[in-house]
Amino acid sequence: MSPRTSTGPGSSTGTRTGTGTGTGAGTEEARAASSAQPAAPSTVGTRLRSTATGLTGSLRASSALGLGLGLIALHVVLAVLAPWIAGHDPVATDSTAALTGASWSHWLGTDQYGRDILSRTLNGGRYALLVTFLATTIAVGIGTVLGCVTAYADNWFDEVVMRVVDALLSVPSILALLVVVTVFDSGLWVIVLAVTVVYAPAVTRVVRGAARTVITQDYVTAARARGEKPLSIVFREILPNVTDVVLVEYAMRASWIVLLISTLSFLGFGANPPTPDWGLMVQENRTALTVVPLGTLAPVAALATLVIGLNLSADGLSKSLGIDRAQKGAVS
Amino acid sequence: MTTAPQTVGGVGRVAGTASYPVVSVHDLSISYAAGRREVPVVRGVSFTVEPGRALGLVGESGSGKSTVARTLLAHLRRGSRIVGGSVTVDGQDVFALDDAATRALRGGTAALVAQNAGQALTPSMRVGQQLREALESHGLPGGHDRVLELVRHVRLPDPETIVRRYPHQLSGGQQQRIAIAMAVAARPRLLVLDEPTTALDVVTQSAVLALIRDLAVELGMAIVLVSHDMGVVSTMADEIAVMRDGEIVEHRPTAELFADPRHPYTRELLASIPRASGAAAAGAGADDEPRSVRRTAMKLGSWIGTRFEERGRHAEEPRGGGSHLAPAAPPVVAARDLVVRYGRSLPAAVDGVSFDIGRRETLAVVGESGSGKSTLATALAGLIPAESGSFAFHGSDGVESDLTQPVARRTLALRRSVQLVFQNADTSLNPRRTVGAAIARPLKLFTGSATSERVAELLVEVGLTPDFAARLPAQLSGGQRQRVGIARALAAGPDLIIADEITTALDVRVQAGVLDLLTTLRDDKGLSCLFISHDLAVVRGVADRVAVMTGGRIVEIGSTEDVFRGPNHPYTRTLLEATLDPGTTELPSVGDARPRWRDAGGWDDHGDGHRVARWESM
Repeated sequence: MSPRTSTGPGSSTGTRTGTGTGTGAGTEEARAASSAQPAAPSTVGTRLRSTATGLTGSLRASSALGLGLGLIALHVVLAVLAPWIAGHDPVATDSTAALTGASWSHWLGTDQYGRDILSRTLNGGRYALLVTFLATTIAVGIGTVLGCVTAYADNWFDEVVMRVVDALLSVPSILALLVVVTVFDSGLWVIVLAVTVVYAPAVTRVVRGAARTVITQDYVTAARARGEKPLSIVFREILPNVTDVVLVEYAMRASWIVLLISTLSFLGFGANPPTPDWGLMVQENRTALTVVPLGTLAPVAALATLVIGLNLSADGLSKSLGIDRAQKGAVS
Repeated sequence: MTTAPQTVGGVGRVAGTASYPVVSVHDLSISYAAGRREVPVVRGVSFTVEPGRALGLVGESGSGKSTVARTLLAHLRRGSRIVGGSVTVDGQDVFALDDAATRALRGGTAALVAQNAGQALTPSMRVGQQLREALESHGLPGGHDRVLELVRHVRLPDPETIVRRYPHQLSGGQQQRIAIAMAVAARPRLLVLDEPTTALDVVTQSAVLALIRDLAVELGMAIVLVSHDMGVVSTMADEIAVMRDGEIVEHRPTAELFADPRHPYTRELLASIPRASGAAAAGAGADDEPRSVRRTAMKLGSWIGTRFEERGRHAEEPRGGGSHLAPAAPPVVAARDLVVRYGRSLPAAVDGVSFDIGRRETLAVVGESGSGKSTLATALAGLIPAESGSFAFHGSDGVESDLTQPVARRTLALRRSVQLVFQNADTSLNPRRTVGAAIARPLKLFTGSATSERVAELLVEVGLTPDFAARLPAQLSGGQRQRVGIARALAAGPDLIIADEITTALDVRVQAGVLDLLTTLRDDKGLSCLFISHDLAVVRGVADRVAVMTGGRIVEIGSTEDVFRGPNHPYTRTLLEATLDPGTTELPSVGDARPRWRDAGGWDDHGDGHRVARWESM
């Protein structure tokens, strides 16, 4: 279906950032057109190198993006490795060592049941990260497709979908989640689906706005004049050109969803005790704030760094992707 | 840089003795930091402009002409820096000024009129308010009377109403006049014009240029005019500096430069300009004669026109036809009384238009913006259905189709036969898809297979190399993108190509290349072509027949020679007169560009398919 794999003498696989092989860019038309061989056919090696330089280039250009992605990566690595690197079982209670301060065996001390706070903090991100990843991916995925389709349709379908979106957006998200979790139980997939229902409409609205500006471009007109099918136009011509908006949406929604999940746990509707979870840990340890402040501060710090990481990447992504590609091609 | 006092035309001839120059640029070099490299954009440019005189900076995009012009306002693009030299405006070194002095310079001593006035004006503010701001920011009284006086100054009708409007309620020409009013509000010593009329159609362009010239004389301003349009520069500037790759390659008085270009690049530049007058005015220096010849022809034409009007009343009304081809070959496209409307309550954008496009024939449709010429192209492509009238297509395979159908109901064969090339090459290619993918898509859709060999063949056909297939549109220049657009249209194997203003956004030399390519391909492949343009000079070189549209109707149609020779419809005459040919040093007078005719119904046939809509003066 995709001609991407079948075109071009040197296997052309999509994303190439403006640097590297763009020798002809910005040069005079006549010169490039008349010269017999402007550039040697690019090999896979040079292509990889150009992609790599493009990526490092945008990382170097935006320290926010680098820092943000670094924080997220750190959290993901710690969460994945938590069962092996945590010194203690996060749910093992020890009544002899309850509410101790920092010590060599418990670096961040223990909570009121004698559970190691460091181990619980390291493990506490697993649930939130998993739910966030699933819920964000599904919500942004559905919202993106729906947004592009409604933008292109621009008829009764658009009207119906957008009125439903309006209705969903008018419900406070935490309230909707509480209702869903109370009616069903607080299983993983229930929460994921509930978060999707809450956030997909907002994504739909944003992506629809972005897609509407793409639809006025001549390449969409060209596709319509060729008689392409509507879905083919949506997926080939519109979607690739709203990816920057979608990526930024993804990072931004993820940070909100992390907070939402933790809020749910804090309120007692998310993770069930004794599961280690940041929101739950704050809720359990806040009464002992004066005795073992680290019991509250450690999960808060973990949550805060993750959210800051997500926000920084959203900001950095929007900056580095927002750069006019035409200009980028001409300059570099 | 001493200037010859006896230059013809231009802004010059201001009373007053030789004074010190307003602008003096000395050995200016600017470079731009791209990564760790320093790319020079301007190298050792020097010039001076005296009060009341106009300097034209010409060159292609990327030649550094805009960069130089902006330094006169102490403005540098982000990332660029002055490597050497100095810029002095009204006795002050502009890059030594502090912030307050820079603000006083901008708008006070030197003012800028940018290319796109629609973007230069704040959309959420009434224009009167914006004019008042321009006055008050330079400590001038901003009273209502003063604002009205400015509006009157730029010859806008009904100032009281105009000042209460928002920018979007004004036409492009009116917006540009407001932008000029803002620029001259503080009576600057220097006016920098950056492509001031590129976005305007020819008639409006002439009016705006005349206004600028008169204001410059009146206020004794020095003018620096940046343009890639040699016609505009030659009518406005006393001297011309030709820039290439950041250097001035030739700097001479206008008349001398056109009469005897010394630098090979200047010669090349002049040779690539299409001219409305004189079909084969390839060499420079020969352009004075055709112009005067045309003038005479036009006078004759108007005289004959009135004669024919009387005779035409008795002449039999021609119906349709108009093709000079043998009746044996049916036209590829035949339209009769075609009406296209965007909304039920809106007036028709195309109103009762009849024309034919013969096989292997190029029909050019000219007219100013809003004349309905692009709507005609859109309807032909099936993107908007025709309301009434007949619109038939005869394919080379003998198949007849109805073009009034929207694209969704058209057959694959018809969709294949009619292909579009777009005006703006920047937006006509999907920025996330490679050139190869853009060409492979119609290949796959219409021929069933898309091999990389076929893509490479098409790329070579349009004058590119096969390795372009792997590039993204952002890595191509404007002309290369337009070539890819043509390759994409050719991929389908069409009978008819719709070219909608395909060269508007291109430099003259690139434009010449693209037009050459289009005509060559059309002849080689036996294509028909609907060529939409507002530029009569371009049309003359490309089209077999010309249809002139205004207000959704065709007012004149005929072979290119006939239309350019006359007798003409008054509207065609306005268009012809407003076209600026390079080398002419006087501005045509187009009055207030208000029509002085009205439709009288019916047609006058001047033979050989040359028909002119009947009109009466008012």
